[in-house]
Amino acid sequence: MVDFALTSEQTSLRDMARKFARTEMAPHAAECDRAGRFPDEIYRKAWELGLMNLNVPTEYGGTGLALFDQCLIVEELAHACAGMTTSIIANCLALEPILLGGTEEQKHRILDPFCAEYHLASFCLTEPSGGSDAGSLKTHARRDGDHYVLDGEKCFITNAPFASLYTVFATTDPTLRHKGINAFVVSRDTEGVLPGKEEEKMGHRASATSTVRFEGARVPVANRLGADGEGFSIAMRTLDQTRTPIGALATGIAQAAIDHAAAYAKRRHTFGKPIAEHQAIQIKLADMTQALRAARLLTWEAAWTIDHGERGSLESAVAKCFASDAAMRVADEAIQVFGGYGYMKEYPVEKLLRDAKLAQIYEGSNEIQRIVIARELLQRYA
Amino acid sequence: MEIAVLVKPVPDAETRLRPDAGGSGLDPEGVKWVLAGYDESAVEQALLLKESIPGTSVRAISYGPLARAEEVLRFAIALGCDAATSVEQPAGAPDDPLVTAAALHLALSKRAVALVLCGKQAGDDETGLVGPALAEMLGIAEYGVAVNVRWDAASSALTLQQSVEGGLVRVRASLPAVVALQQAWNDPRTAKLPNILKSRKAAIERMPASEVSSAIATVQALAARRLAFRLPPPRTGAKMIEYKSPEEAAERLVRILREEAKVFP
Ligand SMILES: Cc1cc2nc3c(=O)[nH]c(=O)nc-3n(C[C@H](O)[C@H](O)[C@H](O)COP(=O)(O)OP(=O)(O)OC[C@H]3O[C@@H](n4cnc5c(N)ncnc54)[C@H](O)[C@@H]3O)c2cc1C
Repeated sequence: MVDFALTSEQTSLRDMARKFARTEMAPHAAECDRAGRFPDEIYRKAWELGLMNLNVPTEYGGTGLALFDQCLIVEELAHACAGMTTSIIANCLALEPILLGGTEEQKHRILDPFCAEYHLASFCLTEPSGGSDAGSLKTHARRDGDHYVLDGEKCFITNAPFASLYTVFATTDPTLRHKGINAFVVSRDTEGVLPGKEEEKMGHRASATSTVRFEGARVPVANRLGADGEGFSIAMRTLDQTRTPIGALATGIAQAAIDHAAAYAKRRHTFGKPIAEHQAIQIKLADMTQALRAARLLTWEAAWTIDHGERGSLESAVAKCFASDAAMRVADEAIQVFGGYGYMKEYPVEKLLRDAKLAQIYEGSNEIQRIVIARELLQRYA
Repeated sequence: MEIAVLVKPVPDAETRLRPDAGGSGLDPEGVKWVLAGYDESAVEQALLLKESIPGTSVRAISYGPLARAEEVLRFAIALGCDAATSVEQPAGAPDDPLVTAAALHLALSKRAVALVLCGKQAGDDETGLVGPALAEMLGIAEYGVAVNVRWDAASSALTLQQSVEGGLVRVRASLPAVVALQQAWNDPRTAKLPNILKSRKAAIERMPASEVSSAIATVQALAARRLAFRLPPPRTGAKMIEYKSPEEAAERLVRILREEAKVFP
């Protein structure tokens, strides 16, 4: 049966996330954005409250939520600050390969101590020479006895400067293309693991992004996830899981944009009445609301599909792509509703546009999402 | 020792309230029930005491329609309370502070509770009577508008600070006692996600309406009857002043106050 009503458990999870977002994150969002500050104390608190490792089952020390419930939480967090949310959910992205490809022994050995304390992890797929074409990685893994030796560079890696654990995708044989790729769990302590300095970014400035270089880093074979050559499949299945929460993040940005725009439209007067009474503004708000609600429902549908055991490549690509495009449009229109004030950093809406932009790029650009959608679609017409 | 903390479900501040069909009460349709604000302070103080006194447990107790009461009890468990009792409001029982106190008294009289904490008043009817009435029924002292409560192990007594006009008084109180909390100094904690999940499955002790009916019979006759429930009339008469400079704004405001509102000549 289709049912759009949340259970009382889901309502309490969402309310808790909303409270955290409004009391702990929102008051610091503008300051962290301006200064490009990584608010470690907020992330630590998020971990304490169980908001960090949402996808990790409780038996390994995580919160163990269904994807749908994760999305409810991510939307609330992103409403307060998408940048902080990116850093909070980066652990889900980095740990998902372990959940998908790890043995029981690996999961307990790696996740139990990781989740028991405040730790950050990074997902290292993208390289300077290209992110979209993940099959042609250059980072090299050479087998040496019971170790692999990693050499190469990753870029745009979320939380990399502060992470204690990296899931790294590298090739043992570039001529094999995606069949030569393996996934490794690499501890920050490993010699030859060198995170770079934080990048200056357009948005998500409360999150930290940097390169990670591997110079002869020795990783035990016991830290390879899955069978030899399974790395590419693990990466793609990971993104199938984690794309949908990006739809939720974009939905949170769009909701924030509408909340600001509607309140401002009722407050701001021109020509003797609130601008909310001019039909041009009403039409904007109506269109923004349609985009928001469609984004949320597509996100919910994708999460629901995956929670029901399907891979959901099409649904999650649709959700991520549509919601991030919607967030961009809605944030853009919110600025327009604010007029000149919308363009000023003193007001909250220009940040939303800068933040929404990233959702169209990371976890697979929207061009790549459209390729996935078309491929899935055309397969059905074989 | 066992600390009891009384928690009342009240309409969420963001809920739009409507009178019911009879016009004498709140229409419960679509209302979201949450833990009353001062009660949240009481829960926080109870948990702080539990953390500072070894061997202490906290039981949350709520009186009201079952589903509503259990919702706030689960919230209290998620925050860290060890156990919960729901006291079911019999159908048709009036919403009256004395009746509530009698119902809670029934639950408390069955347990050896050393300390009862509650909010100084609830965010809906704001009567502020349940704490004092309950203390009277239990025959123990009540301390109102407390802003913080500490356990002094040396003297085996509570030290609490009460907010009074223009300042604070510090009081030493022996147990048993009822303490009603003002907004606490320390912000109430946020429930952890795993605890929220666990609280959904926690067992809640129930006192059925049948048992409660006889306990409230005597006071029920004394209960205040609510004659009408109306929303305040919508605000009118707001006037926006158009201006180009602060001087102009002040000048216009003075003119309106003098000529239209006739606040001064
Ligand atoms: C702030 C931030 C955080 C990030 N965090 C992480 C992280 O934690 N881990 C990680 O691994 N990566 C991360 N990324 C990287 C991100 O996933 C990549 O930037 C993204 O996948 C695009 O790769 P690229 O930048 O190399 O662009 P390219 O792959 O070079 O693409 C450039 C443009 O060409 C388009 N394009 C490429 N191929 C095609 C095609 N076949 N058809 C049509 N159009 C195409 C793209 O859509 C894009 O518009 C992050 C990026 C940013 C900006």
